[in-house]
Amino acid sequence: MTDLLAILVNAVVLGSIYGLVAIGMTLIYGVLRVMDMSQGSMVMAGGFVAAGLMGQLGLPGAITIVAAFAVTFALGVLTQLISVQPLLNRKSIDFEMVTFITTFAVALIFANVALEAFGPQQRSVPPVVEGSIEIYNGVTIPYQSLVMAAVAVTIMVGLGLYLRRSRYGMAIRAVAENNSAARLMGVPVRRMFPLVMGVASGFAGIAGVFLAAQFFASPTAGDLPLLQALIVVILGGLGSMRGTIYAAYTIGLIQATVAVLISTTWSLPVLYAVIVLVLIFRPQGLAGKASEARL
Amino acid sequence: MSTDRIFKTTGAAVAAFSLIAVAALVPLVYSSQYGLGVLITMLILMVLNTSWNLLIGIAGVWNFGQLAVYAIGGYATGIIMLRTGLPGPVALIGGGLAGALISAMLAFPTLRLRGMYTALLTFSFAQIVNMVIVNDNTGLTGGPFGLPAVDGLFTSLSPDGSMRAYYWLALAVVVASLFAVALIRRSSFGLSLTALRDSAGFAAARGVNPLQTQVIVYAIAGFLAGIAGALAVSFDRSIGPEVMSLSLLSLYVTAIVVGGLGTIMGPIVGTAILTLLDTALVDEPALKFGILGVVLLLIVIFVPRGVFGALVELRDRVSDWIAEDPGDDDEAGDLELRPGGPAGAGGG
Repeated sequence: MTDLLAILVNAVVLGSIYGLVAIGMTLIYGVLRVMDMSQGSMVMAGGFVAAGLMGQLGLPGAITIVAAFAVTFALGVLTQLISVQPLLNRKSIDFEMVTFITTFAVALIFANVALEAFGPQQRSVPPVVEGSIEIYNGVTIPYQSLVMAAVAVTIMVGLGLYLRRSRYGMAIRAVAENNSAARLMGVPVRRMFPLVMGVASGFAGIAGVFLAAQFFASPTAGDLPLLQALIVVILGGLGSMRGTIYAAYTIGLIQATVAVLISTTWSLPVLYAVIVLVLIFRPQGLAGKASEARL
Repeated sequence: MSTDRIFKTTGAAVAAFSLIAVAALVPLVYSSQYGLGVLITMLILMVLNTSWNLLIGIAGVWNFGQLAVYAIGGYATGIIMLRTGLPGPVALIGGGLAGALISAMLAFPTLRLRGMYTALLTFSFAQIVNMVIVNDNTGLTGGPFGLPAVDGLFTSLSPDGSMRAYYWLALAVVVASLFAVALIRRSSFGLSLTALRDSAGFAAARGVNPLQTQVIVYAIAGFLAGIAGALAVSFDRSIGPEVMSLSLLSLYVTAIVVGGLGTIMGPIVGTAILTLLDTALVDEPALKFGILGVVLLLIVIFVPRGVFGALVELRDRVSDWIAEDPGDDDEAGDLELRPGGPAGAGGG
C-alpha cells in the first residue's frame, strides 16, 4: 500500500515536470518542425536564475518563477533567431535534421558559457516552498512537489485552452497544420516563430526552477531533463499535444515504479527499452498521426 | 577495376595517391611517440566517421547508435584477445563481424521509421548498450571500469616499431574503407541508397528493395565501425563504456558535418580539423565544446555542404570558369572536366 501510494504520487509529480518540458518541445516541433535540443539549456538557465534570486538574494519563489520565465523566453527567442531563422526556406537541406544540429550547437554554447560564468560546481537551491505533508504512514510529499505539479498542470491546461479558444492560439494551430495556407490567410508566420520558441523555452525555464530546487543548479543540469523530454515527445508522437501529456504521465509512472520497486539506476535503461519497443510496434508514437513513415 | 570509376578526374586520382604516399611516409621521418599516437587515434576515428558518414550522409539514415557498434566491435576484439589464444588479425576481424551483426540487426526496427524517430531509436539503442555494459557484473566486460590490459597487436616489436606498425595498419584501413565507400557510392547499390534517401516511396516503386538495401548498408557500416573499435582497443590496450559518451557523440557528429556530410573525403577532413582543434585546445579542455558549438553553428548556416563540399564546389566553379571559352559550347566544358584517357589510369 505504501509502495503503491508512493508510486502514484511520484508518477504524478514526475509526469507533471516532464510534461512541462516536453509540452514546449512539442509546441516547437508542431509549429516549426524543429526538434529543439536547446530546451535542456533552458532548464539549466532556469536553475541558475533560481540559484541567483532565491539562493543568493532570498527573493520569494513567485518572483523567481516569473524572472526565470522572462530570462529563458529571451534566450529562446535568441536561439530561434540565430539557429533556426537563417535556415527557414533554405532549399536543398533536410530542415529537421539541420535545425536539430544547430539547436544542439546552441546548447553546447550555452553549456560552455554557463561553465565559464558559474564554474562546474553544483549549487544547491532552496525549495520554492518549504515543508512537507505526510499523507499516509511513511509517504510524505514536500509542498514543493505539490506546487510543482500544480504549476505544471495549470500551464498545460492554460496552454491547451489558449490554443483552442484564443485568436492567437488558433493562428498557432493553423501554422502547425499548414504553414503556407496560414500565411496566405494573413497569419504573420515569420513573426510567430520566435514567439513560440520563446514561450516554450520559458516553460522549460520554469521547470528548471523547480528541478534545481530538487536537485542542483549546474551547467549540466539540463542534460537529463532533455533526454527525458525527448523520450516523452517521441513516445507521445511528434507534434501531438495530447499524446505528449499522456506520454509524460506514462513515463512518470514507469520511472516511479522502477525507482520504487527496483532501483533508480535502472529507471533510465528501462525507459529506453520501452521507447525501442514502442517505436518497433507503433512507429508514430502513442498518439501521433501515421505520417509518412520512412519506407 | 579502372580508377575513373572512383575518381572523377585525373587530378583527383593523383591528389589522392600522393596524399596516401605522403601519409605513409610520415612515421619514417617523424618519430615522436606522442605525435604518432595522436595521428593513430585520428586515423582510427577517420575509419569510424567514414562508416558513420556512409549511414548518415550517403544512406540518409540518422543513426546515433554508431558509437555503440564501435564499442561492441572493440569489446568483441578485446574479449577474444583476453580469453582466447586466437591470433590478432582474427580478433580484429571478429570485432568487425560483431559490429556488422549488431548493426544489421538494428536495421530492422529502424526500417519503418523516419528522420527524428530513427535518431531517437538508435540513440536509445546506444544508451541500452551503455547501461548493460556499465551494469554488467559477470566480469565479461569489466563493467564501468572497462576491459583491463588487452595485449594488442605487434607485441613482438619494439615500442617504436609497433607504433609504426599501428600507424600503417590504421592508414591501410582508412584507405580501404574510403575505397569501399567510394565504390559503393558509384555502384548501382549506392544509387539505390541515395534513391531511398531522397524519395523512399518512389525508389521502392522502381524496384529497390528497402529492407535488403538497408540491412546491407547497416552491415557494411557496422563492419567498418567494428574494425575501428577493434583497432582502438588494440592500440589503447583497453576499452571502457566512456567511448559511448554523449560528448564524444557530439564531437564526432560535428566532425562529420563540418567536413561535409555525404562526401567521401568529408569525414576525413572533419576528423583532421577536430584532431587539430583538440590538440590546440589540450590546455583549455573546458573551452573545447563551446568553440565546437560555434564552429558547428557557423558551418551549418554558412557552409551547409561542409568544408570539403565547399572546396569541391569551388574547384568545380574554377574549372567551369577555365573551361568557359567564348564561342564554345558545353561539350568543351565536359571534356575539360572529365579528361579520362590513358593518363587517368596511371595511379591504379
